[in-house]
Amino acid sequence: MNEREHESLEQRARMLFHDSVENLDMRMRSRLTQARHAALDAARRDRAGFKRKNWWMPAAGVTAAAVLGAVLWIGMPRGTHHALSLADAQPNLEDLDIVAASDDSGVPLEMLQDDLDFYDFADKAANVEPAA
Amino acid sequence: MSPFDTLHSAWMDWAGPTPVSEGVVLEYSRELEKFLAEIERRAFRMAQVALRDPDDALDVVQDAMLKLTKNYASRPESEWRPLFYRILENGIRDLQRRRSVRSRIMTWLPGPKEDPDNEAQDPLESVADAAIPIPEALMQGQAMQQLEASSRALPARQREAFMLRNFEGMDVAETAKTMGCSEGSVKTHYSRAVHSLREQLGEAW
Repeated sequence: MNEREHESLEQRARMLFHDSVENLDMRMRSRLTQARHAALDAARRDRAGFKRKNWWMPAAGVTAAAVLGAVLWIGMPRGTHHALSLADAQPNLEDLDIVAASDDSGVPLEMLQDDLDFYDFADKAANVEPAA
Repeated sequence: MSPFDTLHSAWMDWAGPTPVSEGVVLEYSRELEKFLAEIERRAFRMAQVALRDPDDALDVVQDAMLKLTKNYASRPESEWRPLFYRILENGIRDLQRRRSVRSRIMTWLPGPKEDPDNEAQDPLESVADAAIPIPEALMQGQAMQQLEASSRALPARQREAFMLRNFEGMDVAETAKTMGCSEGSVKTHYSRAVHSLREQLGEAW
């Protein structure tokens, strides 16, 4: 199949399609006109309706939400605001893990261990009988 | 001035959305009506090629008109045609999907089965007889029916590219905008469509 055959098909298809459009029966043309008028009327009604009553609705919604938020915030007992913060509301397990896994976590125990040795030494030293 | 005072004074100064004058709305409507009147018959025939049923085709065209006028009338006029045909194609595919689901359900139900693509149901199909001279108009009618049937058999994207380029006369760039793909894809879809149609219709067509 060569390029010329394709071109002839394209031309013939275009010609047949346009003929079929031109030969559309009157009944269908009339129904299309009615459909067009119905669509345009609906759009006009929508636009008029929006102008008449709906333009303030988004603004009213935002205002109502803002007022509700303010009332809830102000109405909450003072000192509980921070308790509702997201960070505080989550369990503090991460902090525990950090403490448990930290290299520094053993330091106080080592110091305590040192102290115990000292106390042990001091105890022994105190109980040693002085040389007669 | 506190933020509340600022907000309050702005609210008091605001007189609602900028009113569009009746003259501008009327001008929009007139242009839109002109556009739809110019395009509606071709759009209907393209929908009919894809869906076969004229009532279904009329429904999707009317729906596309409604969506365009309601949602996109304020867009620049140059965007109306790609938008309209994109809405139309979406409508066609929705309807084809619904048909497909319905036919799957119908196969489970008892009773006679409907076959929307049964070409033998068309009375013109049985008219052709090589022994009798066929008038030119009838030959053209038959050729168009063959073209429609072959177009319906194409994959959706190929059919869409072929109809927009060949029937509607869009250039590659506008077709790509309408189909929401690259110009290269349009060329590929179109070329494959023409090749398939040539194979299906035969050289005698």
